[in-house]
Amino acid sequence: MLIAIVGSAALVLAWWIVTGPAALVAPLYLPPPAEVLATFGRMAREPYLGSTLWAHVYASLSIVLLGWLLAGAVGLPLGVAMAWWPRLRWIVFPLFQLVRPVPPLAWIPLAIIWLGIGDGARVSVVFIAALVPWLMNSMQAVYSVDALLVSAARTLGASNRQILVRVVGRTALPTLVAGARIALGNAWTTLIAAELLAASAGLGYVALNASRTLETGVLLVAMGVIGLLGVLMSAAMRVATRVLAPWSTKGGASA
Amino acid sequence: MPALAWGAGTLAALLAVWLVATSVTGLVPARVLPSPVAIVQRAVALVAAPFSGATLEGHALASLTRWAIGVACAIVVGIPFGILLAWLPPVRVAVGPVFELLRFIPPFAWVPIAVLWFGASTTTQALVVFIAAFPACVINAQLGVSQVDPILQRAAQVLGAGSLTTLRRVVVPVAAPSAFTGVRIAVSNGWMALVGAELIVGKQGLGFLISQGQNNDSVATIFVGIIAIGVLGAAIDVMLQRLQARLLPWTPALAQAR
Repeated sequence: MLIAIVGSAALVLAWWIVTGPAALVAPLYLPPPAEVLATFGRMAREPYLGSTLWAHVYASLSIVLLGWLLAGAVGLPLGVAMAWWPRLRWIVFPLFQLVRPVPPLAWIPLAIIWLGIGDGARVSVVFIAALVPWLMNSMQAVYSVDALLVSAARTLGASNRQILVRVVGRTALPTLVAGARIALGNAWTTLIAAELLAASAGLGYVALNASRTLETGVLLVAMGVIGLLGVLMSAAMRVATRVLAPWSTKGGASA
Repeated sequence: MPALAWGAGTLAALLAVWLVATSVTGLVPARVLPSPVAIVQRAVALVAAPFSGATLEGHALASLTRWAIGVACAIVVGIPFGILLAWLPPVRVAVGPVFELLRFIPPFAWVPIAVLWFGASTTTQALVVFIAAFPACVINAQLGVSQVDPILQRAAQVLGAGSLTTLRRVVVPVAAPSAFTGVRIAVSNGWMALVGAELIVGKQGLGFLISQGQNNDSVATIFVGIIAIGVLGAAIDVMLQRLQARLLPWTPALAQAR
């Protein structure tokens, strides 16, 4: 822990030295830490590009969560159904394999042409990015349930509901939660790119504008907040895993 | 085999619906969704004559070059770095948190600052690819080395193996499959990031081709770009899977399927 703090402090110190006293890097390319901190304070109070930092955070977060939840609402039942009915799997899976190698970002121009530059385009691209892990892990989750355990529970007199909660739920939940976590990570990454391309608010939009107007301080604040929100979302999902499925070992498949 | 039949049937049905909706009945206007025939024609036209500065192959080659530079740098730096993290705990404790923190900034968030630093150049694109590919190399190399059973290492030493022999015969065979899986993930992350970077800034490349299609309201061009990106991405992954099976046949089946 101590060395970790020292490591992070060393990074900030190195940043301060090359920008401040040594003046190795022009502030245009990398402003000193104090200036970035001051910019952060200013953006938190005064509007930049029409709204304060918090409003931009809200704009980004609301779209990411909406796209992620929609993907879950479609991907979770569809994944379970695909594991249950082979025919559905045979129909949907080839389509999926066809679309999967295409990066979700590549759909952005198409989404913009079809849905315009509004929230619809961004939500749909986030949806596409989050759908794959939701669906894949739901399918995997059902597969991972050992048929022998289900039979054993039934032999011992468990009702259908008990089997669902105590056997299927127990085995499937860790994989499901892992899918949700990966989906959220993908959604966040994709949203930032989408905001760089088409948005009128949001952190990616702030970053792109700051780069065009050469406001490097603002750009670094936006990047820092993007990274911080990524850390927070990942931590929240880890807490959710611990609460929902404390018996999960390693969080299933990663990608 | 029913799986294959159902799959082929679905795809054929989808293609038929697409054809009927666009070319036969004309229910869907071409500027929303062009017919498959129009997309093939557009692809042929793009191969034959340059569009936005290069032919389709030219754009693909530009993308592949940047991607290869970025991924190669990520592998060359990332795998030794991962091994170092696994071998020297103090390094891991000191550098780990910084690495974790930076990892949470999506690669695309680096695009604006990379543009500021290097302009809309190949360096910018390669840097974004590098940032996207680097963590997978580091994490999986580290994982691979930490999977090496210390008992095996000691056994080798007891049996008279020098440290170089131990490294070559014990550590590398255990760690290599995991590191290779890391490379595969890095390769696909890099490809994905490159497309994004090219969409945002660039003068050439498949991502740029798509964004030009958007600017010219040519959905057919966008589709050609999307298909080219998907096909190249899938082809690269299949090639690496084959390579993994050939070079490291002892890779566990689960890791191979990833």
